[in-house]
Amino acid sequence: MSGVGDIVHLLFTANLWQATLAAAVLLLLPALGGVISERSGVVNIAMEGMMLTGAFFAVVADLAWHNPWLATLVAIVAGGLMATIHAVVSIQFRADQIVSGIAINIFAAGLTVFLVNRIYGLQDVGHVGPNELLPYVDIPALDQIPFFGQVVFDQNIVVYIALILLVATHIVLFRTRLGLRIRAVGEHPQAADTAGLNVYVIRYSAVITSGLLSGLSGAFLAIGISNTFVPNMTDGRGYIALAAMIFGKWTPFGAFIACLIFGLGQAVYDNNSIIHVSPYLLSMLPYLLTLIVLAGLVGRATPPAADGLPYVPGSE
Amino acid sequence: MPVGSVLFAFVIGALICVVTGANPIAAYAGLVCGGLGIGCTQGENPALQISNTIVFFIPLVTTGVAVALPFRAGLFNIGAEGQLLAGSVACCAIGIKFADLPAPILLPMVLVGGMAAGAIWAGIAGVLKATVGAHEVVTTIMLNYVAQWLVRFLIVGGPLELAPGTSKSHPIGAGAQLPTLLPADNSVIIFGLPASVFRVHSGLFIAVVAAAVFAFLLWRTAFGYEIRAVGQSQKAARYAGVSVRRTIVLTMLIAGAFSGLAGAVQIAGVDHNLTDKFFNDTTGFDAIAVALLGLGSAVGIVLAALLFGALHTGGAIMQSDAGISSNLVLVLQALILFSIAANFVGAIRRGLPFGRRASPELPTELPPAAGLMTEAAVPPPGKT
Amino acid sequence: MTDAERLAVDMRGIVKQFPGVLANNHVDFSVRTGEIHALVGENGAGKSTLMNVLYGLIHPDAGEILIHGKPTHLTGPRDAIALGIGMVHQHFMLIPVFSVGENIMLGREPVDGMRLYNRARARKLINDLTKKYGLALDPDTRMADLPVGLQQRAEIVKVLYRGAEILILDEPTGVLTPQETKELFVVLRDLVKGGKTIIFISHKLKEVLEISDRITVMRRGKVVGHLTTRETSEEEIATMMVGREVLLRVDKKPARPGAVVMRVENVTASSDRGVPALKGVSFELRQGEILGIAGVEGNGQSELMEVLAGTRKTTGGHVLLGDRDITTYDARTERDAGVAFIPEDRRGTGLVLSFSIAENSILGRERSSRFSWNQLLLKLVAIREWARRLVKEFDVRTPSIDVAARNLSGGNQQKVIVAREMGSKPKVLLAAQPTRGVDIGAIEFIHRRIVQERDEGTAVLLVSAELDEVRSLSDRIAVMYEGRIVSIESPDTPEERLGLLMTGGGKAREGAA
Repeated sequence: MSGVGDIVHLLFTANLWQATLAAAVLLLLPALGGVISERSGVVNIAMEGMMLTGAFFAVVADLAWHNPWLATLVAIVAGGLMATIHAVVSIQFRADQIVSGIAINIFAAGLTVFLVNRIYGLQDVGHVGPNELLPYVDIPALDQIPFFGQVVFDQNIVVYIALILLVATHIVLFRTRLGLRIRAVGEHPQAADTAGLNVYVIRYSAVITSGLLSGLSGAFLAIGISNTFVPNMTDGRGYIALAAMIFGKWTPFGAFIACLIFGLGQAVYDNNSIIHVSPYLLSMLPYLLTLIVLAGLVGRATPPAADGLPYVPGSE
Repeated sequence: MPVGSVLFAFVIGALICVVTGANPIAAYAGLVCGGLGIGCTQGENPALQISNTIVFFIPLVTTGVAVALPFRAGLFNIGAEGQLLAGSVACCAIGIKFADLPAPILLPMVLVGGMAAGAIWAGIAGVLKATVGAHEVVTTIMLNYVAQWLVRFLIVGGPLELAPGTSKSHPIGAGAQLPTLLPADNSVIIFGLPASVFRVHSGLFIAVVAAAVFAFLLWRTAFGYEIRAVGQSQKAARYAGVSVRRTIVLTMLIAGAFSGLAGAVQIAGVDHNLTDKFFNDTTGFDAIAVALLGLGSAVGIVLAALLFGALHTGGAIMQSDAGISSNLVLVLQALILFSIAANFVGAIRRGLPFGRRASPELPTELPPAAGLMTEAAVPPPGKT
Repeated sequence: MTDAERLAVDMRGIVKQFPGVLANNHVDFSVRTGEIHALVGENGAGKSTLMNVLYGLIHPDAGEILIHGKPTHLTGPRDAIALGIGMVHQHFMLIPVFSVGENIMLGREPVDGMRLYNRARARKLINDLTKKYGLALDPDTRMADLPVGLQQRAEIVKVLYRGAEILILDEPTGVLTPQETKELFVVLRDLVKGGKTIIFISHKLKEVLEISDRITVMRRGKVVGHLTTRETSEEEIATMMVGREVLLRVDKKPARPGAVVMRVENVTASSDRGVPALKGVSFELRQGEILGIAGVEGNGQSELMEVLAGTRKTTGGHVLLGDRDITTYDARTERDAGVAFIPEDRRGTGLVLSFSIAENSILGRERSSRFSWNQLLLKLVAIREWARRLVKEFDVRTPSIDVAARNLSGGNQQKVIVAREMGSKPKVLLAAQPTRGVDIGAIEFIHRRIVQERDEGTAVLLVSAELDEVRSLSDRIAVMYEGRIVSIESPDTPEERLGLLMTGGGKAREGAA
């Protein structure tokens, strides 16, 4: 089957792995957000909507102010605002966190297109000029290393930021006082409360952080990898990030490995013209991969003990 | 509470309109005209609007049931859309392959085929949940995407395509078509328009029967009792001797069958073939709001489906008349979901912002939210 | 020290209302510095609420709190901790996946410059503390791996680490073996010698008499008595707790046991964690007798009941009902065969709280021909009649059978379960902790009905953590220890001997190994 042969051949090209890392980072940022949020005990399936919001506002801001950094900042804040809605509804109002997450996603999908219509009328959203996108940066000297140089050190700046954030998240969660407290709140909020921790503040912070990270990812998607906003452009990546989080057993590096796997699927798809397989069948690849990954986790993955349960003080 | 949630959503929606320079009155007038055929100012035919609303209403009822039934078992079926698509594909495939068979044979075949396809689609998620504990939210969403790409694959240059470049499938045989409620004869004028414009079809009865079957199943059968027990307390259900795994799988299969039926009915009753319209179909997602707004009861689902059907048709008119994107409807839908989930209305009555979960109905409808890998379906070692 | 300051804690006029219940009704409660003060009352008397108010977890609707004579306003546990109040909760506030050190340090973690948690310093701090109070603990062990007695010790160290001078212990001995209880009392006396004040909440009167200096009794949200321990007795405290004379013994005629109806042979089974919980249990159960299983919780009793009820698989051995081998029967077939089960967790397992009484009355029997046609259609009329009959016969206090189970009191909830299981006229009745957390009136009722069942020929297997209950109800007592029946004794056996057997000492008199 020439398709398989082509794929195998493809696997040996640096280009593919370079694309894989980029696609993985796109998933990694929301996955990290999910890890942080769920470690504090709040189920967050709204990454999809937060990413989409970030993508939209990144493009709008960039088109308006011609500054990708400012636009990225706007995107991050927008993601954070979306997350705040989820946080308020889930934490303050003790709503069902899954319904709230889904509502955010629907809200974001509808609101972004609605705003496109309001701002641009019946026209498409314009394209961001090539000088106003988030830049690709070759790291001098390191990028000359054969194979790995191209894969790791010749990437968009967001990729480097994301990798730093990956390490930072791990250190914070598992080596600092703050991380200990976040995990305590996620495992046993009552114990944390009686130890004098402020459960609400910690959970709010965690959820909003997940929004900030997802917003950044949206900016990367909209003005880093592509250059415009298309309705529903996130295409389920927020949900795949969730699966990555589960696969990674709610740890940053574990999620990263999963993101690499999914990124590989995405990169293979992008090369579908080379490998002569129907693009539509290939499109299914990331989603099928997710299913397989989830199926293989025979009850081994345990989330933080209080994940998803609203905290009611004073109750046993 | 549901009424309050809808009002809340419309209020916030109006705010959003005002803030972005849209006219909320024009927007809502468009919705009302399109949805209910009332107060139409630009010459739309009220009867046609009502007919279109009902056309959207029909699949919403059945998929609403497909979401509400698993809710009762503690499961989130976000995959109603994928299951619906699976049903549509099956209906189409069978309707095309056996196009020459007469109606009394072909029609049941396509409907049953649709149900089976939907059941399998949901069953995959159900089995994964029951055996491995994989959370159905993620698995059903993944299956949604797979289904969407499958449809694209089939009709864009794929095996079901009518002719190269048309992006639609062959039509199903005449025997597979559900009769419309009004004679499909252009020479007859009804309500001022040629009759065949009214697409409202006999699938309406199927939808209503589906809602009744759902209510009956849930409240009058031992299995329905067990579904509800599993949804409320898996420990108690195990104590009662109910196999939680079996219940989960069966519930998803039945739910998938409902969704698949909706998809099949949609093809058989209205579209008669698969087109790119299905790429952007949101019925399955609307169904989530329908199930929640309807508080998981058959009557509620019917009413909620009417509302969302009206919003759907209304959205199109709102866009063409008032120039306001029909996506506002999605925003309204999300606001309704927020409001129900957070019981805003109840909180407002009790004095914001600390909404205690005092409302007894809410926990009954929504399954206890838990982490994304629940151990619940996978009993501890040694237990049955 | 002035009089006021001699009172470490002075709570005046505390009022706390929850929906539907006035938990604290103008409560005055004071504790002298350096004493061990017991707060007693039945379940629901308001003791835990009062202490949660003192710890800042709950805000009172009215009243004031003075600590060492100074009025305070507590916005949360942080304030209480700052004032030197520490609480060891009944359900441990420990995080199982964290280490002992992390649990103890939580909220006051030692960090180095970069805010990185300094494990070495934590270790040193903990070791200093544990040596000072003689509470040996390894800071690096995972909390989940420690036995319950040591977990409680960690809770106490946690509280001491924060500088607590006033310690509140909420039902501390419920999960301890008699040996661990003794050790705890030694620790408490040492702490008091070191100047600490201790508030000890309990409903176990024997222990209260042993350890406390003074006692405050609460009933239905009010304080009903102040006692000096030296000068009072178990009967006096119990009467105050309940408001009338309490029957501490059940009236019953001698048993007339008939044929052997259930035979358990060398049954082995694992616990939820995969560890062996039953290591070869054997006994016989006869018609018309009550066999009580005595033992400290956690020695396999729960698993034994689950195996017999069909909700847990065995890993070996046989269970015979008459001639039938029912070892592999699941819960439904067990029920159909005539084995009824009152589970120990009434709210989680025995009832579906959101279901009505009527719906709960058929839990487990919804497919029986009595309540459904062909296992499919429910016979709604028959179900309602059945529920009505049960409510009447078992005196369940409720306005209707459509009330949701969660709205019933604990005692009435338990009665629904008891009614359901007994009402099915079983051959064998398995009763696990049938009166836990239930008010005295309901306890007496349930005890009487259990004896009545036995008199009508049912074989009853009773598991209870309250030794008094086992001794007063049973015709024979089987002592369980570490997954085995170590001896079968008569109910007249002195308590010391039973206690000894329950903790692994003593020689078996009769019965299996």
